[in-house]
Amino acid sequence: MAEVSRRQLFAGAAGLTVAGSLAAACGGKSTSSGTTPGQAAGKPKRGGNFRLGVTGGGSKDLFDGQNIITKPDQARLVSAFETLLLFDDNYQLTTNGLAESYTQDNPKQYTIHLRQGVEFQNGKTMTADDVIYSLQRIATKANGLTGFAATATIDVAGIKKLDKYTVRIPLKTPDATIPQTLASYTFCVVPVGYQAYPHGPQIGTGAYKLKSFTPGQQSVSVRNPNYWRTGEPHFDQITIIDFNDSTAQVNALLGGQIDAMTDLPASQVKVLQSRNMHALISKTGGWLPLCMAIDIPPFDDVRVRQAMRLIVDRPLIIEQVLSGYGFTGNDLYAPFDPGFDHALPQRTQNISEAKSLLKSAGHSKLAFDLHTTNGAAGMVELATVFQTQAQAAGVTVNVHNDPNYYGNQYLKLGFSVDFWGTRSYLNQVQQGSLPNSPYNETHWPPKHGKGSNFESLYSQALAETDIGKRIEIEHEMQALEYELGGYIIPFFNDLIDGYADNVRGLRPSKGTLNLDSFGHGYRTIWFG
Amino acid sequence: MNRLRSGGVPRFIVRRLLLGLLVLILVSFVVFAATQALPGDPARAILGRSATPASLAALRKVLHLDRPVIDQYLTWIAGLLHGNLGSSLAAQEPVTKLLAPKLVNSAVLVLISAVVSIPLSIAIGSWAALKREKIFDTVSSNLLLVLAALPEFVVGVVLVILFATTVFNVLPGVSQIPPGSRPWNDLSGLVLPVLTLVVAVAPYVARIMRASMIEVLESDYVEMARLKGLPERTVLVRHALPNALGPVFQVIALNLAYLAGGIVVVEYVFNYTGIGSALQDAVINHDLPVVQALAMLIAALYVALNLLADVGTIVVTPRLRTRL
Repeated sequence: MAEVSRRQLFAGAAGLTVAGSLAAACGGKSTSSGTTPGQAAGKPKRGGNFRLGVTGGGSKDLFDGQNIITKPDQARLVSAFETLLLFDDNYQLTTNGLAESYTQDNPKQYTIHLRQGVEFQNGKTMTADDVIYSLQRIATKANGLTGFAATATIDVAGIKKLDKYTVRIPLKTPDATIPQTLASYTFCVVPVGYQAYPHGPQIGTGAYKLKSFTPGQQSVSVRNPNYWRTGEPHFDQITIIDFNDSTAQVNALLGGQIDAMTDLPASQVKVLQSRNMHALISKTGGWLPLCMAIDIPPFDDVRVRQAMRLIVDRPLIIEQVLSGYGFTGNDLYAPFDPGFDHALPQRTQNISEAKSLLKSAGHSKLAFDLHTTNGAAGMVELATVFQTQAQAAGVTVNVHNDPNYYGNQYLKLGFSVDFWGTRSYLNQVQQGSLPNSPYNETHWPPKHGKGSNFESLYSQALAETDIGKRIEIEHEMQALEYELGGYIIPFFNDLIDGYADNVRGLRPSKGTLNLDSFGHGYRTIWFG
Repeated sequence: MNRLRSGGVPRFIVRRLLLGLLVLILVSFVVFAATQALPGDPARAILGRSATPASLAALRKVLHLDRPVIDQYLTWIAGLLHGNLGSSLAAQEPVTKLLAPKLVNSAVLVLISAVVSIPLSIAIGSWAALKREKIFDTVSSNLLLVLAALPEFVVGVVLVILFATTVFNVLPGVSQIPPGSRPWNDLSGLVLPVLTLVVAVAPYVARIMRASMIEVLESDYVEMARLKGLPERTVLVRHALPNALGPVFQVIALNLAYLAGGIVVVEYVFNYTGIGSALQDAVINHDLPVVQALAMLIAALYVALNLLADVGTIVVTPRLRTRL
């Protein structure tokens, strides 16, 4: 029996554990100086070694052009590998990536036109063969890659090379989300025959070529001399360093040992600013839901679910859990999607209405457990703040903080906290709101009655090529989730990163990745 | 029994070594049982949010979780005796290869801290005893009391604020040791971690040294030596110091053993690449072979240091030696 490697076992590991930030007091003058985050960028200069500190990694760090487990993995992946399509800073799809254009020929077929003259870091030209190999690699279940679930609709065996730079992708069932999928950072293009570290060379089309890598410690990459974009990148070298926690990270930034850091604790924003450093505050579509399983009592009663949604004081939660760094949610996800329904009325706290709903459901004295873990910053705090707010409605909540939450009972609980990053609406539905989704905490949609047509609406939306009509279907789906769903989505949290004064070119981005998608793969930032 | 008890220092060491071995065997039960008893299924805990039935079954096989517990223990202890600590589940590397460089880093940190803190604290303690209730004694006693009350991470953070980030910007605030590098390649990075550990350990040793020295200075034989007309220097170095050191050896050993475990916090604060941060990483990842290996290693160190302390105590205390 061949031993299965641990790396391969991480099948579909979409959730990365973001170390809960230990905001230890770190001193510093707390004068609130008005530093300008978007300082005059000026003309990019070449040179230097960019040192980035990242938390959340460890000895399980990996280097794979199409897979991540930890946050340092994300930081490293985008240095060496690139996707066919790209999201811009507003989370809108662009053709600035390795594909020059794409067409949806019919609901079940896409054609991708590759950019010509793009070379891998070893000088080999990128062609249709590499794209086909890349998609096949992700779609091979045994490879256990993060993107596997998103390849379900692709007819992988039928992908065809029309010419050196044109690829035809046939689908098994209609799927209008293919372009968004191709822009996900786990769908990077790797050369034919590519294997993950340490089994093969790490050769991508990205701006930096890997020189050395020690999991849990650091990686060093050097500028790719063959890079296809003119005038980029700017640094000679980038060093990505793993940190145990944010206190050491902040100290390293303040002491000049690193130039930028991910996930700056909110309490440290002023400390950095008082030292003439900067916080990059990005409004993202990341969210921490309270998840009610719609088939587990008492949450199988829609009145109970509605009451819970009326108990939360959203602005107060943003203040207490996020120190104000976030914007209000309305129990619906994907706020940057063109199909997001902004017309549905914003839910606000209404204790008397919640009480009367609970009473009519026969639960005037309700008590239940709420499970959480330190999986992402704020998950434990959200649970305890909800516990306090529920008391006002006569609801007793017992918070269970379980370190093995994701190992033991995840997805089987009646009431729990989880975390998600920015996604488009239909991509998010596929990940968490369908019967066969890998991470469906709320057990949505209902099996009978109103809402049971959710999955067929989803299929209709995927098949709809007219964007206006697709948005209509998406609104219908959101109305069902708004009325009957199991998510309480109190907020969308900002990402806060820190950087030194001489780092230029960083701008707030709505995407999932930190630090403006890591300076767009370390090519749009430089030392001033 | 008498025969066993007699035989002087070598016999004593052999006896203590055997006892130490017994302790380690007992510890191995506890370590194994404790790591096995972690709540839930280790395979589930390792895979976390990505546990699918197929990957769970495969990982259980890799971890030998499909076999009886006694079987698992025997495999583990047999490997341990052959120097085979198994493979890290997270890094997919032999534990020995993974830990060897980190062990060197941590050992360097502990050794330098010991070499600095022990003579320093003995000197401070002795001097305070000699100048009893004078200014030096009052100041040092109170200061040491305050320092002893501070946890290491507070000391570490204060030192970082003082020397690395806020007040002066003269020393690195984190001591990341790049792969392939050694701690002594960048001595500036060692200053703050060593200083933190010295502050953590020195107060205890110095206070015990002071108390012990005061007791000895008031003893009959020191008075006798003085009455004989021996120079004060000879009285102190020949008569007082060796007798005062006995109890201090025990405290030094305990503190060194504490250092070996206590560096977890210091390595965390300074992002120092050593066994402390490896242990923390292994606990987070439920990397059982690494946790087990480190727990056994630290236990062995405790046993060894205690043995050394007892031998040291006996060597400087003749009346104990004759009783062996």
